[in-house]
Amino acid sequence: MTRTLPASLALGLALALAAVASAPVRAQDAYVVGVSAAMTGPQAGTYAPVIDALKAYLDHINGKGGINGKPVRLVIQDNQAEPSRAAADAKKLVSQDRVLILINTSLSSTYAPMVAESKRAGVPLYYAGAVCPNETFPTADPLQFCSTAFSANLDSQAAMQFIRSQAKEPVRVGFAAMAIPVARAGIEHAESVAKSLGMTVVDRQLTPPPTPDYTPFATKLKEANPNWVFSWSPWVSQIRTFEALRRLGWTGNYVTWAHNNAEDELARIRDPGLYVIGTNALFQDDVPMHAEIRAVTHRADLKYPATYVTEGFITGLVIEQVLKATPWPPTPQKALAAMNAVKVDLKGLRGGPLEWTPDNHFRTRQYYRVWRWDPARNAVVRVQDWTPLDVKR
Amino acid sequence: MQLAVNIVVLASIYALISCGYVLIYRVSRVLSLAHGELMMLGAYGLLATAGLFAGHPLVAIAVAAVLALVVGVLVYVFLMRRMTGEAVLAAVLATIALGILLRGAMVLVWTAQEQRPLAALGWTNGSVALGPDARISMAALTLVLVTAAAYLGLWLFLRHTVWGIRMRAAGQHPLLAAQRGIALHRVYALAWGLATFTGGLAGMLIAADSGLEQTMAVIGLKAFPAALVGGLDSLAGAILGSLIVAGAEVLLIHYVDPLLSEVVPFLVLLAFLIVRPWGLLGSKEELDRV
Repeated sequence: MTRTLPASLALGLALALAAVASAPVRAQDAYVVGVSAAMTGPQAGTYAPVIDALKAYLDHINGKGGINGKPVRLVIQDNQAEPSRAAADAKKLVSQDRVLILINTSLSSTYAPMVAESKRAGVPLYYAGAVCPNETFPTADPLQFCSTAFSANLDSQAAMQFIRSQAKEPVRVGFAAMAIPVARAGIEHAESVAKSLGMTVVDRQLTPPPTPDYTPFATKLKEANPNWVFSWSPWVSQIRTFEALRRLGWTGNYVTWAHNNAEDELARIRDPGLYVIGTNALFQDDVPMHAEIRAVTHRADLKYPATYVTEGFITGLVIEQVLKATPWPPTPQKALAAMNAVKVDLKGLRGGPLEWTPDNHFRTRQYYRVWRWDPARNAVVRVQDWTPLDVKR
Repeated sequence: MQLAVNIVVLASIYALISCGYVLIYRVSRVLSLAHGELMMLGAYGLLATAGLFAGHPLVAIAVAAVLALVVGVLVYVFLMRRMTGEAVLAAVLATIALGILLRGAMVLVWTAQEQRPLAALGWTNGSVALGPDARISMAALTLVLVTAAAYLGLWLFLRHTVWGIRMRAAGQHPLLAAQRGIALHRVYALAWGLATFTGGLAGMLIAADSGLEQTMAVIGLKAFPAALVGGLDSLAGAILGSLIVAGAEVLLIHYVDPLLSEVVPFLVLLAFLIVRPWGLLGSKEELDRV
């Protein structure tokens, strides 16, 4: 007995040491990408589909032999949109998992701790499906990148130009947004663009998150008598304000951002006065990549419909392209060099390629389409085809 | 007129939610901070039964309502009963833990995707005119009527039924009630069941009006000031508190700034805590005991 106990102890220690020692070895056998995302919690509806789709896409790539003959390993941490969790995630992903790239898919309040860890370790930080911070626009921070479809200022500009092009009478525009910083910034920019385009701004309603009843806000907005309303916010706020307006008898046109569930919602609501503007093609557009998305979504048995996952697939295409240009053995510095010169063919999922340059980590050009429900055709139809906006300093 | 309708609808939402807080507090002196999550669970329950009983919406609603009641009883039996004899704070902390657990479980089961229970029932949410210049959605109108029916039903139950009288007795003096042969655990279980039932109805009706997603749990907390303003142990106070908070909120949205709607319930609450901490119709000695 006295002999067996130290022997088993020694065996246990040896196994533990072997496990610890093998971890970095395993990591070096694959391209390792780390994610800190709001996979659960109140904000998960916006962010979790992006990461679920990214994982499905990378599993699909791994099934075809990986990238440069190596598999891609995705380490996913759930930050529940809490900054403290994001900080712990970033530390763990960098020091323990030795990731090449950090991905953030969460609220902007989680950015600061991840930026700090990214800077400390020199690991690039990629925002996917989360708001692109100013640091990704020209002149970009050397370590921060973004592929997310939306951008408050550009979207507002595109939406106002769309309204201007469609309106047959003088525009009295109202605005609705959730009372969160990024949405307020977008709406304030839209107001200034509207004024510069000769529109009359009649009202602006900011709704707190969450709101049990949107009718009081819609009542005020309706009384201002707008013939167009623009809303740029999380989908819940956008669509509930619209539905409340309609129930109050408002008959004007409503332009809003095409979040990942927009296509399904247009079909549910079936209102020809509801327009969605976006930069990701809807499945109605039926590009070849949509068939692949449907197939991968089905094979991976994702919890979300295929129409929800385009943003995640775009992230997958970007990661695939970046890692292809990251020679083996990979390091964060090599990945960073690849990211600074990447040009990703998005295969029709957007109006053009996604291109990052050393001083522009957003994209050099943003393309917008607009859709609505057409009662005559009983289908979602395209109202405006890809319209480019250059992304300038 | 539309403003009055808006106030009544918002007050009904707050009143239907806050009667759950009052029922539990009045009987057991426990503040249930899982009420928002239990309310959300009621709404998800409707979504589930709508799928199970496709084509039979009334059956789906009835089963979901019964499920909500059963869930409340089970919460008491399996969790809150174990807190008997512990400090009130421990029981409150247990409800917080329950809320976190429920939130996580609901994401796992139903995902974080926005759901539409009304569409799952095969119904749409139209609106009706109330006079020349006011409209109300069908779901909101139903919510107002259900709130009125719930309060009337609870009043009748507490006044005129044996179990209702037992519940009041247990709330007023639990030791004396127990000595008189009232089974306190059954009374508490019933209170939890009724609170979750009314909370579940609120969740179902809010989800029917505007959809269901993860932030609904927070709406449960937004009704809390209404319950406190009215008095945590008074159902009539909950109605009054809801009207005051909803009135202040709607009028400030309309005449001052919509952003104030977020803070005004808590401003009203603070004002009452300073001036009359036991609420409008609450019992002063009850709060002294807390």
